[in-house]
Amino acid sequence: MAFIKLNDLEIEVEDGTNVVEAARQHGIEVPHYCYHPGLSRPANCRMCLIDLYLRSSEMPEQQLATGCTTTVRSAPPERKLDGKYDVIVRTDSPRVIKAREDILEFLLVHHPLDCPVCDQAGECDLQDFSYRHGHDKSRYVEVKNVPPKKDLGPDVLLYSTRCIVCTRCIRFCEEVSGSGELGLINRGSHDEIDIPRSHEGTPIQLLDNKLAGNVVDICPVGALVSKDFLFKSRPWFMKKQNSICSGCSVGCNITVEFKEDGLYRIKPRFHEDINQHWMCDDGRLGYHFVNSDDRLQLPLKRVDGELSTTQWSDVLSLITEKISEVETEEDIVVIGSAQGTNEDNYVLQQFAHDVLKTTQLGLFGQQPGEEHKFPQFTIEADKNPNTTGARTILGSANGNVVLEGDALWDMVSGSKVVYLVSGVPERSLTDAEKDALENVDFLIVQDILHSEVAELADVVLPGTTFAEKDGTFTNSTGWVQRIRKTINPPGEAQPDWEITQQLAKQLGGEIDYHFAGEIAIAISDNVQGYGDATHQNIGDSGVKLD
Amino acid sequence: MSDEIVQIETPFQFNEENKQEFDELIGRYPIKEAAMLPTLHLAQKQAGYISPAVMKYVAELLELSVMKVKDVVTFYPMFFEEPVGKYVIRVCHTLPCALRDCKVVLEHLKAKLGTDIASETNLAKGTTDDGKFTLMKVECLASCDVAPVIMVNDDLHKNLTPEKLDEILANL
Amino acid sequence: MVQERRILYEHLDVPEINTFDVYRQHDGYTGFEKAVADYEPDDIAKMVKDSGLKGRGGAGFSTGLKWSYVPRDIEPRYLCCNADESEPGTFSNRYVLEKNPHLLIEGILICCYAMGIETTYVYIRGEFTLGKKMLDAAIKEAYEQGYLGENVRDTGLNINIYTHPGAGAYICGEETGLIESLEGKRGQPRNKPPFPAVEGVFMKPTVVQNVETLCNLPFIIGNGVEWYTKMGPIYADMRNDPPTPDPNTGTKLYCISGDVNEPGVYELDLGLTCTELIEVAGGLRGEEVKAVIPGGSSAPILTHYELDTRLDFTSLRLAKSMLGSGGIIVMNETRNIVDCLLNIMKFYAHESCGQCTPCRWGTPWVRDIVQRIADGNGRQTIITRPKFGVTESGRWGDTGETEEVYEDLELLENVANNIANVDTMTWNTICVFGIAVSWPAVSYLRKFMPEFEAAIREGKLVTLPVAEATVPPEENYAFQQRIIPKEMSDL
Repeated sequence: MAFIKLNDLEIEVEDGTNVVEAARQHGIEVPHYCYHPGLSRPANCRMCLIDLYLRSSEMPEQQLATGCTTTVRSAPPERKLDGKYDVIVRTDSPRVIKAREDILEFLLVHHPLDCPVCDQAGECDLQDFSYRHGHDKSRYVEVKNVPPKKDLGPDVLLYSTRCIVCTRCIRFCEEVSGSGELGLINRGSHDEIDIPRSHEGTPIQLLDNKLAGNVVDICPVGALVSKDFLFKSRPWFMKKQNSICSGCSVGCNITVEFKEDGLYRIKPRFHEDINQHWMCDDGRLGYHFVNSDDRLQLPLKRVDGELSTTQWSDVLSLITEKISEVETEEDIVVIGSAQGTNEDNYVLQQFAHDVLKTTQLGLFGQQPGEEHKFPQFTIEADKNPNTTGARTILGSANGNVVLEGDALWDMVSGSKVVYLVSGVPERSLTDAEKDALENVDFLIVQDILHSEVAELADVVLPGTTFAEKDGTFTNSTGWVQRIRKTINPPGEAQPDWEITQQLAKQLGGEIDYHFAGEIAIAISDNVQGYGDATHQNIGDSGVKLD
Repeated sequence: MSDEIVQIETPFQFNEENKQEFDELIGRYPIKEAAMLPTLHLAQKQAGYISPAVMKYVAELLELSVMKVKDVVTFYPMFFEEPVGKYVIRVCHTLPCALRDCKVVLEHLKAKLGTDIASETNLAKGTTDDGKFTLMKVECLASCDVAPVIMVNDDLHKNLTPEKLDEILANL
Repeated sequence: MVQERRILYEHLDVPEINTFDVYRQHDGYTGFEKAVADYEPDDIAKMVKDSGLKGRGGAGFSTGLKWSYVPRDIEPRYLCCNADESEPGTFSNRYVLEKNPHLLIEGILICCYAMGIETTYVYIRGEFTLGKKMLDAAIKEAYEQGYLGENVRDTGLNINIYTHPGAGAYICGEETGLIESLEGKRGQPRNKPPFPAVEGVFMKPTVVQNVETLCNLPFIIGNGVEWYTKMGPIYADMRNDPPTPDPNTGTKLYCISGDVNEPGVYELDLGLTCTELIEVAGGLRGEEVKAVIPGGSSAPILTHYELDTRLDFTSLRLAKSMLGSGGIIVMNETRNIVDCLLNIMKFYAHESCGQCTPCRWGTPWVRDIVQRIADGNGRQTIITRPKFGVTESGRWGDTGETEEVYEDLELLENVANNIANVDTMTWNTICVFGIAVSWPAVSYLRKFMPEFEAAIREGKLVTLPVAEATVPPEENYAFQQRIIPKEMSDL
């Protein structure tokens, strides 16, 4: 640990911490643009200048230092200042304050000041730092540079006029995605970020990699914008909720931004051991199914060969009737979902085990996709957020056998009643899967969209997506993490565990949870490895399985 | 989104002699990227300018992204991204030459060649219609004792007067 | 009159001195041979330190000291020879490369021997096509003669030299810009520390040395330290108690251009005055000296009142200017200082690498302000500001009075100082390019204020007579703060 004096605070920080982070830990803002904790540090914006005292507690070093590249370490006793400090740092001296004003003035000379039409307004570091650290008027009367707006790739636009050339985006493409599509062109004040193009401006290569969206997040100004979000909403009109991406088994920590009418944007949230600062575009842009017009809002039942909407009470009675008709438990199959939460699956296995008395369980989910490896990020092939959790939890009761793949469909084929919880967006069925499901007497499907699997059902129950319920997912490396309800489910759709619980009640079962956290407590009591995984413990940072 | 991407119809590659020189060059450095500037000089000597095809070729040779090459090409004024005249005339216009009337040299060349002065992003502007000359300004050529000076391709010409310029042009 | 003392340039005009045989006939490579035969590598480093040799590239940093920072336990180490001569007004390296390339090779050999270096890159600016051709030919000869390659002259040393062409970027003359460029990237200078001596090219310890510095080595070794230190003044560094020697030893290849009758390179002992140098260079072309730039275009300008300043590293530093690369540009009474500044600012705006904020956007801003004033579009608005001058204590500072000044002139000075402050010598930029911009901007403005004011007042460039154009000595910040260094021998 290093013991430092920061302004008038005496603080202890880990060896190797840079001054920007050390100050941040103690609530002191050192404004910066080019520095990003997940990237290399070129110290080119010169915004985080600080006064550094290395040799004397009276006189700072002649030149101001950049806080991002100044790391503090414990010094040998003879080099301690005033006999105790490893280093003294001032972020509030008159010359530091002046240096910030000067840098901000330079940053704004070519800036178009188009905040009223800029997507970033409200969450813009240039706006915020100018307000807090800058001049109130400009002395620049010369002609401004007006570099062109550029289309960089499928989802990213560059408003070059707003760019402050901090090069975060370039470094991201070199260091994290390793794809190297971005770079600088020209020199000096004509520096522009760009993809490689011919002299005439035709792209040679587009910014088209699965991590490209991150450059929009890390752009400290409104230069890089997402086409998906462009002009959709002012940031301050959206609410935010911490959650977990449901796109694959990595379990990226995310912030969901939403309004009453649906989701607007998904951004990655830092988790040191899982996704650091990043997420992939599949997850980032994959939320649209939540807002889809094709969402199931009411239960459906098959009448004269067609699915038509009906009342909850109607389908519940129908299901109860059909299940009651089944003579041997082996004729009932219950299939949980790798898209469902641990809580959904726990209630489901309880229903199977305690109420239906069947041990025939299965696990359904999205078909495997491709794995994508980047220098500092991996997108996994398992496109379900909770395969690990669902598998363990469905199989947690005595005698439960959880089948997947061909073995599952063999079991399904010829069954009397199958209760399949899906919730998988855009899941196509193979011929074998279709054949098996068609060969079921009474197929109950719980889903979120008018999907292929729902089309085969006798009864369809409207479930919910990750954005409409609380619960936990367990990722591929054993982290149990929380998703949180942001918006209300459409129509009469309900959280999946609640639907299962109602079915159980209809059939005389004694499952009676009031909220997801209560189920998590039951899980922590009964499922091996989940001892610590209560919602309270999990919080925003997750709990790693024992 | 325009889906148009540059299609390389005729890929570039080094001729035998330059390939040999490149192979010798690359052995000089512990990392391939370091051969960037000499390789680009070599490529420009062969191709006349750094086209997208050249950029792709150099990127492959040095195992870099195309953008890395583009990034370097646009930083250094000696690399051209568009065709230039057979003779590239660089007129020094920095202070010591300015004190020795480089303006006269520049104006004389403009009049004589009937062309404007090229800018770094628009070389065509300074290239004569017959494609013989490209006229551009350049910063200090480190020959201030013999100012004003120009470079015609690789050759330096010193102590220039309009008469001398006429002579030089006549011999090209 | 001061006489030239040709050492580095002694054989420059010998026909075919560029060939191995002729160079050898003129005692070529004897310095290297003596180094290897008579001294251990550490002895060489000590001799270089004792010689007081200061880097000739611009910063004037002690060569011996620089070498002492190189960790000897990290392999490989590299030598980068800086032949990216691009500071306006400087042209001495060109002649070495074109005419006497074996001298440079010999200097490199000595440095490699002293530092245990096996690989040297000579970064030659792209426009030096002839220089590169000549050096390449000389390197080829040296390989053939066994002075380069494996087991050089049976000494067991392996030394390779490669030339590396630049491509027209001034900033690649900055040592870390050069290193980045050598690595195949944009020539954007690095943050320091770490310094190249510790982490340089390919992240290995690297000595970066100017051509002229290296060319001094054969003579220091060949003729000895005592011989070398007799040339040029040894000042007393009064900051230390007792004062320590501050050597400005050796000869300097002074490049003089502009308004003199015989511009060229003159090799002279360090420490002659501006006036003396102009005399050596055939005298002034014109009636009166208006101004002299003493160390390449980035050096603060000297007025005719300051021509007695000695042209060495210490004297010029203490006169608030610098010797830099030794490019002296003389301007006579017909020159307009605003116009000269515009030319220089166009140069810097073009050459800013664009990496860090203050330089990227400050430099063109300064250029644009000067351009506007030169075009006659300077704003007539006048503002009041604190007046600086000689205070009651006799020092330069805030006099407590105020003065009126054109807003654009205050803006010009302020913006330049915000890139790098010439008074406090602090900069917010990554490299010293920032101060290379603000030094000329602020010094031209402050020292030739009347000419700037006239341009704004009249709405066009007005060239005033020298006496009127120049701020008098008592109002000249540099003149008032100037310290004339004492020589050690006078103490």
